[in-house]
Amino acid sequence: MTDNTQNGRQNIYKPAIMKIVAKRDEAPGVKTLRLEFQNPADHEQFKQRYRTGMFGLYGIYGEGESTFCVASPETRNEYIECTFRQSGRVTAALASAEIGDLVTYRGPYGNRFPIEDFYGKNLLFIAGGIALPPTRSVIWSCLDQRDKFGKITIVYGARTVADLVYKHELEEWQNRSDIELVLTVDPGGESPDWQHRIGFVPSILEQAAPSAENCIAVLCGPPIMIKFTLISLGKLGFNEENVYTTLENRMKCGVGKCGRCNVGSVYICKEGPVFTAAEVSRMPAGDL
Amino acid sequence: MTKILLRDKLDDCLTRWHAAGFDVVGPVRKNNISQYATVKKAGELDLGIILPDRTLKDLFFPQTEPMFSYRISKQKIDTEEYLPPGRQRIIFGARACDASAMAIDDPLFGWDYQDTYWFKRRNETVIVTIACTAADEFCMCTSLKLAPDSTQGSDILLRPLGDNRGWQVEELTDRGREAFSRIEALLEESPAQTAALADVPIKFDLDLCREWLQNPENFESHFWKEISMRCIGCGTCTFLCPTCHCFDFQDEGDTYTGIRRKNWDSCSFALFTMHTSGRNPRSTQSARWRQRIMHKFNYFPGKFNLNSCSGCGRCTRECPVDMGIIETLQEITKLSQ
Repeated sequence: MTDNTQNGRQNIYKPAIMKIVAKRDEAPGVKTLRLEFQNPADHEQFKQRYRTGMFGLYGIYGEGESTFCVASPETRNEYIECTFRQSGRVTAALASAEIGDLVTYRGPYGNRFPIEDFYGKNLLFIAGGIALPPTRSVIWSCLDQRDKFGKITIVYGARTVADLVYKHELEEWQNRSDIELVLTVDPGGESPDWQHRIGFVPSILEQAAPSAENCIAVLCGPPIMIKFTLISLGKLGFNEENVYTTLENRMKCGVGKCGRCNVGSVYICKEGPVFTAAEVSRMPAGDL
Repeated sequence: MTKILLRDKLDDCLTRWHAAGFDVVGPVRKNNISQYATVKKAGELDLGIILPDRTLKDLFFPQTEPMFSYRISKQKIDTEEYLPPGRQRIIFGARACDASAMAIDDPLFGWDYQDTYWFKRRNETVIVTIACTAADEFCMCTSLKLAPDSTQGSDILLRPLGDNRGWQVEELTDRGREAFSRIEALLEESPAQTAALADVPIKFDLDLCREWLQNPENFESHFWKEISMRCIGCGTCTFLCPTCHCFDFQDEGDTYTGIRRKNWDSCSFALFTMHTSGRNPRSTQSARWRQRIMHKFNYFPGKFNLNSCSGCGRCTRECPVDMGIIETLQEITKLSQ
């Protein structure tokens, strides 16, 4: 089988091999790896298939595989970046891997952000903590074709100043005149020299009060933040159809067979991870 | 006039199939467990049982299976795939429920992405089903709109003769015809009286159950807590289910060499869905039992137009606390009336 739907692979469970070409500390326990395919055919398949929003299974033989988003945008597909918090066996192994080491990758899997549907619209990105990586992938996909969009607002918050990830890019966005960046940390998480907001993302969002007029919101964060931010977006007049988010669940296969990632009848790995808030609200809340 | 396979010709059939390169697999008692396993002689076959303890799934999707080995050296990872051995085989004496179950899981293992391990074995196997003339109180194929002589998933259907001398042969697929062409000379053409099929009473109303499960209000029904209160989460019902397909990957080995395996997993286990953070979307046993019932009778039929259950009844027959699909669907039927 060499058709496209198999990612060009005879055995869908057999990962591609990638080399770590760069490694960055983002926050305590959080790292970003930049990976390059070792086999040109694997890279070609990736370039053909990858669209912003899709995820992959990253791993180290002997430890296993973990599911993260592809944090790099489709407009920069010469490599893959993934950002993760060290919290289990696989992430511990990935975190201790060095530049030049080989890791495994399966994907890209899942659906995508329909970015061309956002053309001509204002964009509001809202992210919390380590959920900036999936949001950042969309942000760069849009910034790399900046003239296709209206006003771009980014609201990003973390527990503490140290927990903010992609600090170098936050600085870059801060300095751009075509982006409005609102940064916040939870009360108590500020440092003495913190110049930005203090408060939880939903209330800071309400203070910033971006207009819902002709605007698409992209929201990624921990479940509790999503819950309250959706309420705030409602207050600001956002229609659930215009709010996009991603769902994450434990996954093993990534291709709809191992049976665990579904919310109600929806398989996150196949029909997601990107959903509108309207789609999420139709899912059984008790399964989320 | 129909084709008849006589019981006393079975050893000759096996000899011919073996000579043609087929392995022959059938219900046998091995290690005190009734299961489908390879046989050399017809005498080993245990064709008198209602159904084996273990399912046909074991032969296509083993409980544990090495997928590939890895060997890591400086700047290099070598892997070797362990694909199924590529031997043609005939399963002689499958039960209709077990054969149906394989056809039920085909679309699952094939939607968009093909599971190589499953399809390689499926493509190498001929399933010869014997229709049931006996059933027990747990058999429920008819409740699933199947029957003791369902042909779903089978390549050949054998109907037992009334005088117990053998079986009437129904060739269903080209693969079945090809396998039976090898024993053509051993078959007889004669009029035949087939035995009465097993009487399997309908135990619940599947359509009413589906309707109830589809109603979003019932997702949070207190019913789920009550019906699953005694579930101990052992996973027996999932492991002995011919259609349950959930799995996990595990690496066995060390940093340099080892094997990645595909192992059965179960929605009954809390770890199955637990996030790294410790958060678990299905944190209670009742949520997990709800998932199992919803998956089989609502989500799966919604996707593939098939129930993820062929009515073998093992989940209920072997449950250590006497729970199971039968009771749950009977109660849902009552709730819907």
